Amino acid sequence: MIETRTSFDRIAMAILWLGILFILAPLWIALMSASHSYEHILRNGLAWYPGGHLVDNLIRVFTDTRIPVQMFNSLIVALMTAVGICILSFCTAFALVFLNLRFGWLVFATIFGTILLPVDIRVVPTYQVMSNIMEPFAALGLPVPQISLVNTHIGLALPAIAHGTGTFMLRQFFRTVPMDLARAARMDGAGALRFMWDVLLPLSRPALAALFVLMFLGGWTNYLWPLVASSTADMQTAVVGLARLATDGDSRAPDFPLMMAAASAVSLIPLTLIAVLQRFLVRGMALTEK
Amino acid sequence: MTQSPFRSRLIALLFLSPLILLTALFFYWPVAEAIRWSFFLEQPFGGGSTFVGLANFRRVLSDPEFWKSLKLTGIFMVTASVPAVLVPLVLAMAADRGLRTSRIARNVLVWPKGVAGASIGVIFGFIFNPFVGILTPLNQLWPGIWSPGTDGVDAFITLIVANLWNGIPFNFVILLAGLQALPDTYSKAAALDGAGPWRQALDIRLPLLAPQLFFVLVLEFTESIINAFGLIDTMTRGGPGGATTLLVYKIYADGFKGYDLSGASTQTVLLMILVLLIAAAQFLLMERRVKYER
Repeated sequence: MIETRTSFDRIAMAILWLGILFILAPLWIALMSASHSYEHILRNGLAWYPGGHLVDNLIRVFTDTRIPVQMFNSLIVALMTAVGICILSFCTAFALVFLNLRFGWLVFATIFGTILLPVDIRVVPTYQVMSNIMEPFAALGLPVPQISLVNTHIGLALPAIAHGTGTFMLRQFFRTVPMDLARAARMDGAGALRFMWDVLLPLSRPALAALFVLMFLGGWTNYLWPLVASSTADMQTAVVGLARLATDGDSRAPDFPLMMAAASAVSLIPLTLIAVLQRFLVRGMALTEK
Repeated sequence: MTQSPFRSRLIALLFLSPLILLTALFFYWPVAEAIRWSFFLEQPFGGGSTFVGLANFRRVLSDPEFWKSLKLTGIFMVTASVPAVLVPLVLAMAADRGLRTSRIARNVLVWPKGVAGASIGVIFGFIFNPFVGILTPLNQLWPGIWSPGTDGVDAFITLIVANLWNGIPFNFVILLAGLQALPDTYSKAAALDGAGPWRQALDIRLPLLAPQLFFVLVLEFTESIINAFGLIDTMTRGGPGGATTLLVYKIYADGFKGYDLSGASTQTVLLMILVLLIAAAQFLLMERRVKYER
């Protein structure tokens, strides 16, 4: 039995290393290939070892492409998405769990419905709505001006904010908070807002941090919506800009080192976030299941 | 659950209305519009629209291109989801042993969560490039054996690998959390009965993980056909010869490149029905499992 245990563990260890290798290899190849010259890659193929052109290629990314301004866009959109979702879903989940609403289930069902159909499968109508968000009011006969949020930061973030995952996660979390806490607060004379601010908010800090990290990463890595909702290069997010580098090439062979340098730059912020805030991210993902 | 001592209509209204308004405007309104447009023929460049009944559906459903992309969507859903669940399952069972390596693995295996599908698509597009990529030596031995630019199957494989890479974090985290939540009394009892680690893993821990496994698989069905867009747009652009034109990609191409608003809306409605059917199946089957679980 001792023998089978060691054989099992040895295989488990090998499997884990293979998994780690599978995750790291593409990132490693991207980074290494970003450190070689265009001619070198064309002659020798992708690189497994470092070369001397990483800084050159990164400088080219930052001077010849719009990636810098696009990374700024990504940062704004990801922050807007994460902050917006944290605030809105905290308020919504609080009202649903702690305010004894008669039609709470109806509100919850309305918001939960958004989880079923992500924006990616309804881009066409969402784009039409975003290009004139006053349309429903105009349809009612109200004299309202046309307002288009296409090609704005807020327009890029809104469909992700109008989503139920955050409310769902926080609602699950709030339901694990003992109701005696609320009753104790009430007995001490606290109102609903006071309880929310002084008791619930400090308790929710880890859950909110998990939600924030998860939604920031989502905002940064979204692709289809930012692709259609931004009409100029200066409003595109970094991921869209990177993909355009790869697909808008002219007839000569694609500039792989430049693309790989851009891919490394674009993934640097979210990857750093993951490496540092790993704990919160894992908790956030585990919360979505419940 | 005991009742909360708080009650305030005003606060409820204030707190609920922003999100309800946003979901109404950016979720329910677009969904309704898609349904409405699927019954109208929209002229491009703002030429007005006319009610055409079911003509749009008739047109889409008699289009072989639509059926081809629906079939490809189904094939991708199965061939991409199965590895994207099985590989994280094996990894989670290995990490569950609490070896020293599993600490590193648990950190590194969630990294893909920070890399967009489109970004890893650009990277894998380079890695699988037939002239400079990792499989170039194969082509030197047998010219033309690896050619995702002209061979639909090769192109499909690149998408499946990239989708697996992207899908590992979520599925791994959920499955590992499920394994670690299992009470170890079962394993201890099995060990007393003389079951080795293989036996314990396959006959006790794996069957007990069935609920999480099922959850992850059904979620992956929808996730894979959505995540596919970023991969397709950067790796294959729907080609070669439409071999990777899944429905999400076709809708995008019809709506934003072909300016066929009615056709794209009609296909959107059909895709939404498909996704809702998957969700309904998930719901029904989950209900059933809850009944026999405890």
